Order: sequence, then C-alpha cells, then structure tokens
Amino acid sequence: MKKNNTALAQGLMRCHECGKLAQIHSPAPLICTRCGSHLHARLPHSFQRTLALLLSGFALYIPANLFPIMTVTKLGVGEPHTILGGIVALIHSDMLPIAMLVLVASILVPLLKLLGLSLLLLCVHFRWQVNAKLWTRLYRIIAFVGRWSMLDIFMISILVSLVNLGGVAQVIAGSAATAFAAVVVLTMFAAKSFDPRLIWDVQND
Amino acid sequence: MKILNYLACPECDLLLQRVLPAVNEKAHCPRCHYLLHRPRIQSITRTFALSLTGLFLLLPANLLPIVGIKILGNSHDGTLLSGSVTLFNEEMWAVAMVVFLASILFPMLSIILSLLISGHLYFHRPNRYLSAWLRTLQHIDEWAMLEVYLLGIIVACVKLAAMAELKFGLGLTAFVLLLWVALMLASNFDRVLFWQRIEQLNAHEEK
Repeated sequence: MKKNNTALAQGLMRCHECGKLAQIHSPAPLICTRCGSHLHARLPHSFQRTLALLLSGFALYIPANLFPIMTVTKLGVGEPHTILGGIVALIHSDMLPIAMLVLVASILVPLLKLLGLSLLLLCVHFRWQVNAKLWTRLYRIIAFVGRWSMLDIFMISILVSLVNLGGVAQVIAGSAATAFAAVVVLTMFAAKSFDPRLIWDVQND
Repeated sequence: MKILNYLACPECDLLLQRVLPAVNEKAHCPRCHYLLHRPRIQSITRTFALSLTGLFLLLPANLLPIVGIKILGNSHDGTLLSGSVTLFNEEMWAVAMVVFLASILFPMLSIILSLLISGHLYFHRPNRYLSAWLRTLQHIDEWAMLEVYLLGIIVACVKLAAMAELKFGLGLTAFVLLLWVALMLASNFDRVLFWQRIEQLNAHEEK
C-alpha cells in the first residue's frame, strides 16, 4: 500500500464530525460546508492532549487504588474498603464470577487502557514500524472498553442510596471514588483525543 | 477529480471510491478494516419511532423506584436519581455529577436529540440547527452509559443479597425497556444517511 493513497497526500481532509471531504488549500475559511465544524487534516494537538490526559490518569490511578472507595457501616461498626479489598471480600463470600467481573472492570481495564495508550503514544513518537492494522485494532479496543470501568462508580452510587438506614447499616463513598471516576473520565478523553491516523502516518512503506 | 465520489477512512485516512452498500451489507476499509458504512432499513422512520418510545419511558425510568431493600425491618427504595442525590449530599459532588450525566442527563438528551433530528428528517422540515444537534448527539453518545449502569445494579444486588431483602420496582422494568430502546436506536442509526439527508434538506432550503 503506497503512502500517497491517503486523503492527506492528495490534499484532502475529512471533517471529524460528518465525514465530508474538503480541499486543504481552499481559499475559503476551513469550515465544513455540510456541518459547520472546524476542519483539520488530523485532530489538533492530538499527541500533546493525549499525553497530558494520560499522565493525569496515571497520577490519579495511585490514590484511586490506595484510598478507600467506600465504607460499609453495620450496626455502628465501620469498615473501609479499597477497590482491591472489595474484590477480596467478594471472593471470601463465594461470589467468584462477580469478583472477576469487578476485577476486570475496575482494575485490569483502567490499567490496560493506561498502558495501551502509552504504547500508542510511544509508537507515534518514536516512529515504530509496526503492523498498523493490529495497532489500530488495539486503539479500537481501548476506545470501546473505557466506558465499562464506570461499573464500580455506578455500583457505589446505588449502594450509597440504598443502604442509607442510619445506625443499622450505611454505605458511604470514600475519597478513592472521586479519583477513580476521574481516571475513567480522563482515559476516555485521552482515547477520544488520540488520532489513530498518526500510527499510519509514521509508517515508512 | 470529483471530490464527492471519494471518502476517507476516519482511522487510517485511506482515500477510497465512494460505494453505496445495500441494506444489511457492510463496507469496511480495505486497509484497517474500519466499519465505514452499514445501511439500515428505514433508518429515519425507525429512529423516529424508537425515540418517541424512549421519550415516554424517560419519566417512569427516572422517577419510579428501581430496587428497594429491607434490613431488620427498615426499608428503603432507590431511584435512578437518588444515587446522585445521596452522593451530592455526602459532598462527593464530582462523582455525583459524573453519575448524573452518564445515567440520566446524557441518555435523556440522546433520546430528545434523536427525536428532534429524525422528526425533522421524517417530515422534511429544514432547520438550521439540525447539524449542530447531530454533532452534539455524536459527542454525547459515548457518555450515555445505561448498559453499564444495569451491570452496576446487578453487581450491587448480588452484594446486597446476603445482608438484605431485595425487591424490584416498576422503575427497573422501565429502565430495562429504556436501555433496550437506546440499544435499538444505536443499531438502527445510519450516520452517513443522516448527514446526507441533512445536507440535502438544508441545500433545498437555501434555494
């Protein structure tokens, strides 16, 4: 596949919003004639934005796992849980499938997303010659699974509103919930701001 | 070279001849296998009908109790909204905001925007806000997470089943139906067709 087959090489760019093609060197201002959004050949500052969001995600991943995500109080006795602690508690009460589900959604998926996006950025920055089709697929998987990490946040919101019986039983959200929600939102934005066309741009063949 | 006969793959920028796949056929990018276009039968009519259905489900799904619990004689009902309200009262306003947006506001906006856009297209009414609506819809779609919320309900119920008595309310039925409508909307939505029709409608208006 030759490089001059791309729209950019032919002096064209695709509207990010509606997909309409436009000439890069047109005399008119670079606004899409169909949907009115600003036109760019690639997402503007894709690399820098993704990097900034990704570093914030890494930083918040630490408090998200160290601090308690919720405190369960039963008859006045409180017990703080971290994300990992909650999974261990599920295993101890013989709910292995649910424990696996939470493990995947709230520990593995955010971690693999952070690492996967780092790999994509390294690939673009150091112009690694890779199987671009495979790496685009990696990007697609990262973009698709991100939302499922919100599982833990939704579960806490349901527990907090339901188990709200004063002294008898109460669930209170902990500080890690904010950090964890921030990690999920930041990595979703990071995936959105990464332009997979950059992977193809750095390939030499 | 006529620009309208071409399209570019959004993920690898390969320049391609425009093809129109038949209904239930798929057009993939030959280089990166991105799904370029998958036409749907009566996409506009179905989007209109489904979003109208969704509109009626919004109120019961948001206001009726979804799950209730009973511990040692104390009972408590939870609605979709009560989760974010409780979090907000506990001063977890950032988490409360994320939950509110992802489980209530964005699904609601998504249905209202789908209804507005498909309604205008169905009745051939031009409107200068059509493209702004569709752009907004494309952006918020990713942040409406009803299916993840349902999984959250299931996990929360499994955790609670050991310590409390659970009862499921009518709100859960409405919520599951709303989720079904949202999934059907996503699968019947033909983005390429919608943009083409908006362009035709607005061009017709300007003449």
